[in-house]
Amino acid sequence: MTRSNTLSIALPALVVLALIIAPLGLDPFGYTLRILCLMLLFCAMGQAWNIVGGLANQISLGHAAYFGIGAYSSTILFGSLGVSPLIGVFVGMFLAAIFALVLSLPTLRLKGHYFALATLAAGEVARVVANSWTSLTGGPVGISVPYRPDAGFWALQFQTVLPNYYLFLGAMILVSLVFWLVQTSAFGYRLRAIKENETAAEVIGVNTYRVKLHASILSAVLTAMLGTLYAQFQFFFDPDTIFGVATISVKMALIVILGGAGRLYGPWVGAAVIIPLEEMANSYLGNSIAGLSQFAYGVLLIVVILLNPRGLISLFESLRDRLKGRQRA
Amino acid sequence: MSGHLLEVRNVTRRFGGLVANSDVTFTVSPGEIIGLIGPNGAGKTTLFNVLVGIYPPSSGEVIFDGKSIGGLKPHQIAKAGLTKTFQNVALFGETSVLDNVVTGGLVNRSLTDARRFAAECLERVGIGAIAQKKAGDLSFPERARVEVARALCTSPKLLLLDEVMAALTPAEMEEIIELVRSLRDEGMTFIVVEHHMKAVMKLCERLIVLNFGEMIADGTPEEIAGNRKVLDAYLGANFSTQGEGH
Repeated sequence: MTRSNTLSIALPALVVLALIIAPLGLDPFGYTLRILCLMLLFCAMGQAWNIVGGLANQISLGHAAYFGIGAYSSTILFGSLGVSPLIGVFVGMFLAAIFALVLSLPTLRLKGHYFALATLAAGEVARVVANSWTSLTGGPVGISVPYRPDAGFWALQFQTVLPNYYLFLGAMILVSLVFWLVQTSAFGYRLRAIKENETAAEVIGVNTYRVKLHASILSAVLTAMLGTLYAQFQFFFDPDTIFGVATISVKMALIVILGGAGRLYGPWVGAAVIIPLEEMANSYLGNSIAGLSQFAYGVLLIVVILLNPRGLISLFESLRDRLKGRQRA
Repeated sequence: MSGHLLEVRNVTRRFGGLVANSDVTFTVSPGEIIGLIGPNGAGKTTLFNVLVGIYPPSSGEVIFDGKSIGGLKPHQIAKAGLTKTFQNVALFGETSVLDNVVTGGLVNRSLTDARRFAAECLERVGIGAIAQKKAGDLSFPERARVEVARALCTSPKLLLLDEVMAALTPAEMEEIIELVRSLRDEGMTFIVVEHHMKAVMKLCERLIVLNFGEMIADGTPEEIAGNRKVLDAYLGANFSTQGEGH
């Protein structure tokens, strides 16, 4: 095994170890722990997006639809019928799969910007529906997850933030594992072929439509699962945040593109940079000028794409290669 | 069916008002090496694209291995055993040479088998040494070879080679000619588009000539070399008649 190979296994293992130990020194109800929770959750969301957006370069800006479907499904089932979110999560995943299937029929034939715009529109449709279907969703005022701290794990609610933290860490590792399995399988080869040249991929036997469809559904299902976890963590949400373009859809894409699209550790790096940065922007600037953090977001996205569209990971790699080259010389 | 591998029947392909292929009809028997020639813009690449399913024929029929394939998707046609290389080279540039070729093998193999067979294909085409290089970093002749290896890895019965010898040195051309011949001896069939006439005459036993989308000749290299229509198409009608006086 080469040195860089050892490093690429040892470094993430160290990161996971640090993530396991980190919260032990923190206040279990504290703000910092909540930020770390969001970081892990958004890392997992980015990783789910990475399957179709990163590997196949199908830039979806509508993943909030799946996220919201997951959140609303489990919350409505729990609130009105008392169904455990542990069951509701699967209902949400199923409904997200159906939505992805229906959405894919027309959109997967679109390329590039057209695909991005169509998915953006689909996410917005979901938001508008959630806002107007008041009898089901509660409408613009939002919806609360009934607080049942006595019910324990069955209600997927906890007395402190700590269990949530480990739940999110587990989810992040699970989605990363799924991504890695996809990336290294025949499926991953086909997705990369689609990213690089769809016509050539077809001519050498890749059923591009079916491969994209399967990737979209897998990505949607994982995103819906994370939507349920988010709802159980926040206890309250409304259509504009859960189906938000900037708050969810673009953030998922940005995390992956900033870190490194199609790379296993791309979302890890992206989430580790963006989430704390956003929190800082919110706490320092948010009170004075509303919406400034979203403006900062857009600027960041443009700067990254202009300077290094392959993301921060490739920046580290080229730096490492340059150092290696110098050592050899 | 008369034992033909490919039957092209009255195939026409239009793009709006432009007729790129007009009423093309020919057959290919197993084990043939056919040269498809014609001046620039004659419709050679379009015909390849119709055969592999990138464009469906506007009218006419394509029968491959006993099945009608006109209107099928490229991946279905590839699975049936018909694929092509791309004239302007369409590799997966960010991917390694090996992984480019492996992707071709996945059409009818598991990943493990595709990896093994891809390594064989690379050796066969003489680019085993650059297997780990990024395809986008290669020179044009190297990329053309990766195109060939990737197509070979799909185990085609009929392989369409679109100008894989462009920019090759005579020695490299000789290697490709040897490769095509040995693959033919193992049962593969070829249609070759190539501008280098010497190579075409040497490699192919039969030539099909297109001009302005129409097929104007089909015969052995000797027959084609003496064909008035072909000379007219390449050199201009006046030149070949005037030429007789000198």
